[in-house]
Amino acid sequence: MEYASIEREIRIEAAPAVVFEVVSSPEHLKQWWADEAEFAPVAGDSGRIGFHQDGGAVAWERFTVVDAQPPRLFSFRWTHADGEEAAPGNSFLVVFELEPEGAGTILRMTETGFRERGWSEAVAAQHHADHVSGWDFFLPRLPAVAEKAAR
Amino acid sequence: MSVLVDDDLWSAVGDPTRRRMIDRLLADGSGTATSLAEQIPVTRQAIAKHLAVLDRVGLVHGAAAGRERRYRVDEARLARAVAQLNAVGDAWDSRMERIKRIAETIQQTTETKE
Repeated sequence: MEYASIEREIRIEAAPAVVFEVVSSPEHLKQWWADEAEFAPVAGDSGRIGFHQDGGAVAWERFTVVDAQPPRLFSFRWTHADGEEAAPGNSFLVVFELEPEGAGTILRMTETGFRERGWSEAVAAQHHADHVSGWDFFLPRLPAVAEKAAR
Repeated sequence: MSVLVDDDLWSAVGDPTRRRMIDRLLADGSGTATSLAEQIPVTRQAIAKHLAVLDRVGLVHGAAAGRERRYRVDEARLARAVAQLNAVGDAWDSRMERIKRIAETIQQTTETKE
């Protein structure tokens, strides 16, 4: 096990183009991760994602698209400080790779940067980035997602 | 426990040679720089340095044994490091499940329309 990276793989019964849209578009990213997302899913674009805090404040994190090659690759760096260019050592790198398999897609995710940045930052990022995790958050939103997609 | 200690703990387990050393120590119960150097293709001097790093963050404890120090893994400390890592992993499990569900819902909706 490589402690300095997190790797996940999942099979999805949807075409790579659909999965690419879900992992890369700000609208969908707000459904599976952040509360706010402001960026363009093209290589080099720099934006931000936000997480609602108790009391109505938003905790913003920088978000820079590293590479976007629909429908097979989407990668970004996040949590670099304001005024800094996203680079190894100042941010976490998330890479999504999509591989067609039959009518579906194998989605692989790798997040790296923990060793370079130190553990406390990883924990801090995880804590406020995932105050919403799991089905209690997602299920109520599902019908709305399906409706939007059907339009 | 301070945040700084956690940082060091993370870097300590971030190194593949040190993880291999921990594996050996767990398997054998204990070990010295010499015994580890026999099992891992790294010089005894390098092993000794890695042991010092692991000792500093409390992942191993050394005790004088003859001319060498004999080291054991602090399993509670190791479990803590692993638990912290798993917390980040769990977050990604949830996100991947949500990505799957959203994409499959869109796919099904599209197929129904066609």
